[in-house]
Amino acid sequence: MIKATNVVKQYGNLKALDNFSIEIPAGKVGILGPNGAGKSTFVKIALGLLTPTSGEITVLGETLTKNTTEIRRKIGYMPEHDCIPNEMTGVEFLIEMGMVSGMSLAGATERTHEILGHLRMGEEKYRLIGEYSGGMRQKIKLAQGLIHAPEVVFLDEPTSGLDPNARREMLETINGLTDVSTTKVLLSTHILQDVETVCDSVIIVKDGKLQMQEDVKAIVGEKSNFVQVRIGGESENFISELKKKKITVEDDGRVLIIPYVDHSTYDDIIDASVKSECSLYEMERTSQSMDSVYQEIIE
Amino acid sequence: MREKAQLSDRFRDFDANLTTRPWIVLGMGLRKFNRLLTLKTWNGLGIWLMIAVVYLLTFIRFILFIEPEDYPCVDLNDEYQRCVPLDFYGDLLGNAGGTKLFLIAIAATASGGIIGNDMANKSIHLYLSRPISRLDYLIARFIPVFILLLLVTALPNYMILSSMWSGNGLETSWLLDRKWLIVNIMLQGILYSGTYSIIGLTFSTLIKKEGIASSTFFLFVYGTSLVCETFFTILNAFDIDEADYILLLSINHVVDMLSYLIFDTKYYVIAFFTPREVDIGSVELIAVFTVIFAGCAGFMYWIIQQMEANK
Repeated sequence: MIKATNVVKQYGNLKALDNFSIEIPAGKVGILGPNGAGKSTFVKIALGLLTPTSGEITVLGETLTKNTTEIRRKIGYMPEHDCIPNEMTGVEFLIEMGMVSGMSLAGATERTHEILGHLRMGEEKYRLIGEYSGGMRQKIKLAQGLIHAPEVVFLDEPTSGLDPNARREMLETINGLTDVSTTKVLLSTHILQDVETVCDSVIIVKDGKLQMQEDVKAIVGEKSNFVQVRIGGESENFISELKKKKITVEDDGRVLIIPYVDHSTYDDIIDASVKSECSLYEMERTSQSMDSVYQEIIE
Repeated sequence: MREKAQLSDRFRDFDANLTTRPWIVLGMGLRKFNRLLTLKTWNGLGIWLMIAVVYLLTFIRFILFIEPEDYPCVDLNDEYQRCVPLDFYGDLLGNAGGTKLFLIAIAATASGGIIGNDMANKSIHLYLSRPISRLDYLIARFIPVFILLLLVTALPNYMILSSMWSGNGLETSWLLDRKWLIVNIMLQGILYSGTYSIIGLTFSTLIKKEGIASSTFFLFVYGTSLVCETFFTILNAFDIDEADYILLLSINHVVDMLSYLIFDTKYYVIAFFTPREVDIGSVELIAVFTVIFAGCAGFMYWIIQQMEANK
C-alpha cells in the first residue's frame, strides 16, 4: 500500500522522521506512537501535503514526488483537528467535498446520502454543522474522507477528543464503513485500543523511527499464553525449581510470568512452590494486551 | 437484511467517476461565485446593493448623458483627452464615473473571507488533501471574485458601448471600426478585476477575520492612494522631477496608469487644482505591476505552505 525508503523530515534541528523505511501492506493498518513520534508527519508526507527532506515514498504503487495531486484521487483523509465549516449543513459540506474531489453533482449527492445513511444520521444531516455534537462532527469528517470512494483512507487520530461512548461508536463506524467497502485504512493514533479494535496490523513509531511492525493478532496471540504468579518467600528458590524443569521465568518485580504450555504448567508451578517452600498467593492465566508490548517498546 | 446487503454492495462498488483538475478548479470557483451572490447573508445583500449602484451610475452618468459623437474619447484641450471607458473607473469627482469606490468596496466585501474563512475554520486542509495543488486552490478562490468584478467593470462598459452603437444607428461598420475598443474594454476589465481580486485575496490570507480583512484592504488601497497623491502634490510644489514615481507606490494609480496605457492616453493627476501629466515609462509600469501581482500570489502560496507544515 505504502512504501517509504529512508524518509527524513527535518524541521530546523528537529527530526520528525529519521531515516524511516517501511513497507505497509494493504488492509487496516495502525500507526501507533506517543505524541510527537512522527505519525502525523508520515501521514501528511504520504498524502503529499509535506515534502520529505530526503528519501522516497510510493503510495499505491506511484511515486509521490512525481504525481502528488493525482494520487490524492485514490486517497481519503480525515485530519486530526476540527476542520469543518460551521455555516454549512452536513449534506452541503459533503456534496462540496465530493465535488472538490472531482465527482459530479449527482454522484456526490447520491454518495452523500448513502454514506450518511451508513453513519445513521437522520434529519441531523440537514442541520448546520455548527449545531453538531463532537461525535457527529467526527462522523462528518470521516464521511468526507470516504465520499469519493478512495482506495485508501488516512485517519489521523479519529477518536481524539471523544467521550468513551462516542469513541466506541466512532470505532464501530470506521469498522462498519470499511467492512462494506474495499477501502484500505491507515489509522494514526496514540490510543492502543483504537488499533486493537480496527486494525489487522500495527506499526509502532517513536522519535521518528520505526520500532516495530507486526500483525495485531500475532502480538496478542503470541503473548497470551502465560501464567502470572505471585508468591511469598524466596522467589530465587522458586525460580530455580522451575528452571530445573526447563521452564523460563520472567520477574517483572511485582509478579512472575511463566509461559503456559498446557494444564501441566499449573502442576509444575504448584510443585515448585511446595519444593521451594514458597507460599503461592496467586496463579492466574492472563493474556498480555498490546498495552504491555507498546509500553515495552516505548519505554 | 436484504435491503442492507444491497445498500452495502452499492456502497462497495460505487464508481466515483472523478473529473479532471481544471474542471474541479472551475467548479469550485463557480460554486463560490454562486455563494457570494446569495441573498441569505448580509455580505451577499451588500454586494447586490453595490452592483445596483454601479449600474445606476453607469446609466445616469454615461448612457443618458454622453453623446454618441463624444464616445469613446473627446479632446479637452491640446494636451488632454477625456475617454469614457477611463472615466468609468474614476472617483466620484469631476466628470468621473464613481465606479472605483464601489468596485473596491465590492472587491473588499467579496474577498474578505474567501481564503481567511477556510484558514480560520481549517477546512483549507481538507481542500488541499483533494486532487488539487495549492496553486489550483488559489485559482479556485480567485475565480469568483474575478468574475464578480468583471460584472461591474467590463460588463457595464460594454453596455455603454452598446448604447453608443445604438445611438449611431446600430451600424455594423461603426462597431467594426472600433474593434480595438472592444478588446481594450475587456483588457481594462481584466486589469482592474484581476488586480483588486488578487490584492483582496492576499489580505484575506493575511488576516483571517473577514470583516477586518475587508476593511484593511479598503483602507490600504484608498489610504496609499491618498498618501501618494499628497506627496505627489508636495513634491510637485518643489518642482521635483521624480515626483511621478511616488505614484507607483499606490496600487490605484498603477492600475489607472496601465488603463490609460491601454487606451494610449496621457495620464494626469490633479495637483494644486491643476492637472499634471504623469510620465512613467510603460516598461517600468508593467514591471511594477508584475512585481505586485506575482508578489501577492507568491505570498499567498507561501503562507498556505507554511500553514500546512505547521498545522
